[in-house]
Amino acid sequence: MAKNISRREFIATAGATAGFAALASMGLYSGWGSNDSDTNSDQLDSKELNCDVLVIGSGMAGLFAAVKAHDAGAKTIMVSKGRLGSSGQTPFAKGIFEFGAQKSNVTLDEFVKQVSESALGTNNPIYTRQMAEHSKARVGELREWGFFDSPLYNKSFNRPIKDRNIPVVERVTITHLIKENGKIAGAAGFSIDAKKIYFFNAKSVILCTGAGGFKPNGFPINDLTHDGTIMAYDIGAKVTGKEWNDGHPGRSINPAACYDGWGDMFEQKPNTTSVSIRHDLGVDMNYMAYQQGNPIKMGHPGEMNNVTLEGGPKRPVLQGSGMESEKRPGGKRPPKGKGAPPGMGGTPVGGSSAGMAIHKSEGLVPINDRCESNIPGLYAAGDALGSYMAGAIYTQIGSSLAGSAVQGGVAGEAAATYASGVKQLELSVDKKKELKDKIFAPLSRDAGYSPAWVTQTLQGIMIPNFVLYIKKANLMQAALAYIEELRDHHMPLLRASDLHELRLAHETANMIVSAEMKLKASLMRTESRCSHYRLDYPETDNDNWQAWINIYKGKDGSMKFEKQAFDSVRRS
Amino acid sequence: MPINNISGCIGCGTCVSTCPTDVIRLNKDGKAEIKYPEDCQICHLCRMYCPTDAITITPEKTIPVIVSWG
Amino acid sequence: MKNSIKNYNKWAAILLFFALPILIYVLSDFPRRSILKETISILTLGAFFVTMLQFFMSRAAKDKLKEHRMATVIKWHKVLGYIVAGILLLHPFLIIAPRFFEAGILPQDAFIELITTSTQGVILGIITWMLMLLIALTSIFRDKLGIRYKVWRMLHGILSITFITGAAFHVIELGRHINIPMLWLISVLSILAVALLLKLYFFKTSIKA
Repeated sequence: MAKNISRREFIATAGATAGFAALASMGLYSGWGSNDSDTNSDQLDSKELNCDVLVIGSGMAGLFAAVKAHDAGAKTIMVSKGRLGSSGQTPFAKGIFEFGAQKSNVTLDEFVKQVSESALGTNNPIYTRQMAEHSKARVGELREWGFFDSPLYNKSFNRPIKDRNIPVVERVTITHLIKENGKIAGAAGFSIDAKKIYFFNAKSVILCTGAGGFKPNGFPINDLTHDGTIMAYDIGAKVTGKEWNDGHPGRSINPAACYDGWGDMFEQKPNTTSVSIRHDLGVDMNYMAYQQGNPIKMGHPGEMNNVTLEGGPKRPVLQGSGMESEKRPGGKRPPKGKGAPPGMGGTPVGGSSAGMAIHKSEGLVPINDRCESNIPGLYAAGDALGSYMAGAIYTQIGSSLAGSAVQGGVAGEAAATYASGVKQLELSVDKKKELKDKIFAPLSRDAGYSPAWVTQTLQGIMIPNFVLYIKKANLMQAALAYIEELRDHHMPLLRASDLHELRLAHETANMIVSAEMKLKASLMRTESRCSHYRLDYPETDNDNWQAWINIYKGKDGSMKFEKQAFDSVRRS
Repeated sequence: MPINNISGCIGCGTCVSTCPTDVIRLNKDGKAEIKYPEDCQICHLCRMYCPTDAITITPEKTIPVIVSWG
Repeated sequence: MKNSIKNYNKWAAILLFFALPILIYVLSDFPRRSILKETISILTLGAFFVTMLQFFMSRAAKDKLKEHRMATVIKWHKVLGYIVAGILLLHPFLIIAPRFFEAGILPQDAFIELITTSTQGVILGIITWMLMLLIALTSIFRDKLGIRYKVWRMLHGILSITFITGAAFHVIELGRHINIPMLWLISVLSILAVALLLKLYFFKTSIKA
């Protein structure tokens, strides 16, 4: 390509000829953002930062976690592998639920009751209520910061952060949480711009790391790989919600083009939504494709209800006001807009959000209503917290973004309170050395497996609709055998040739662990409910399964599972 | 090519940090370059954030796409 | 004979400063954008080429233009000069103008980001923008400057050489429609333009004042 010749080289030559070489050699370019391919470990830089509260992630939950922790008096730092307001799913979420903004005949109690009905009891009503209760205040703050004035969120997110002088460390991938004496002590990660390791000594950590998937095509979550969940699991945190599925379809033409698949939605300014409770499956389309083949018969939204098909995922008969039965999954769909969501324009294909559960259903198990995990000092908010705010199905439109804002705020205040009562723990030299070796190990491997190949293999195992959407025991067992192979043989041999690939290597490892969790939890839940559909157990089993599945790491390092009854939720 | 072309780049680096999947880097000339096209999720954030509107994106992916049914 | 030389000059000017850039633009695989954006691009590109043409429509090229009425040439030089100066002074704002009509970063934010980027190309752009302003102002208010015409002419020439040198680098460094043919065309034309004026100053052969 003609463009590839260096303009600077040309200028240097032309400049010299014309006698203006000095201009060309001004060299104002600082080298920022260039990828240093030199991976010599001797040249490793390290940076250590101290704070009361470390917020990991810079989406909607991270924003409010940082702001509220700071306002509660904590010295707060935000770290993100992306950019403020431009990473994770936040940049693409355009509807935010505001309860009580308009005159509505639905009271708070009724709202919570209706969500619980639609969610078949899978929701945690404490978090459902908390979201609705605080949504108006958070939306008000966002409005003040100019959130609703632009389709891009970096500027409005920066306003409260800059006003408060909260340091934001961007393009640093956190790979490890650090626990000392049973309590959280900080986190470690690396910069993707220069070979540099980051240690954060923190009294409290809030994971605002979002959810994740298998880097699927057609949904903008390719930077989300359950990093927070897996890091927390590794140090003993309990994780939940891995059997639920987000069933967004994509388009058959250019299925990887998220922007095109969502019509003009990415270009819209955000808007508020009001009460409208649904039961959006998505998994039903997978069932239709499974039974009938492709292309699936459907016209415009809602029409699919009329296609008769034996069996398949059921939706509850909903009563009460404000309930719709529109078939389209749409936790993020704004109320207005001309653009069609994925699959609505042209022939749909499945798996555009493969690997992701319903918003707020998967993530760390909260031990109370303060977004606190079972590890003292470790909090999570938004999609990184398995709060079951909406249950295991999409219920209230726009509540995903509102929930992230609300939980970010709650977690921020709780973490600041916790941090004020504990002492900073110093990281030992040995610990730092150990982490450094672990983090950079893929760079030092001469032979191994590239993260891109392992990811594609993982996608080939997990994305087909007969594995995680239309589930049955023998196929999940088969898939599990593959995943265990990836876990035991490929994960330890992931290699990276540069820092971009190093990030991919860590992300790939997280996806493999999440795949194992998803398969094992799905095998364990021997019933069908909400977005979890078993072909071999098509009925809802209320005798045995009015329970969530929690996952944790056993003393021997193996994955352990436990049931937690739906009605066992606690307040602090 | 997901990101088809970058022309009129002033080297501000906004797209580099804006890209959720770290697809773009500045090259030795200080210009934005599509370094890891296979990781592009075609979300158009880089294009929308670019102050000189230098980025053109097409909907095709550089690698075969795995979907749930096809 | 006289007319044929005049025609020849005219056609050479049209070919070099108009047809050739348009041809390169049409034949190259530059991304085609909206009508508004392409119009702005062509306008700016055209303004830059006309700016280079200005050197050849001046007293510096007097010996080549002896068949033309110099007063007419200078009249055109002035008219074109004010038009292209206007376009080039507006050019930083024209870049961000389409953002008024589409989703994305706000035009004012884009502008701030643009002028606060400290890369070579941008800094050159800002310097040459100021030079352009200076050239335009010293031309409009020539009578009020209180300097002799010859001194003004010298000043105008020096400013122009500095401007076109910086602008050529700026265009090559940042131009949206720069490829190898365009790069050569701009380089050759701008070097010729500068050479023409330098010749005037150092070998005053063509000045018969």
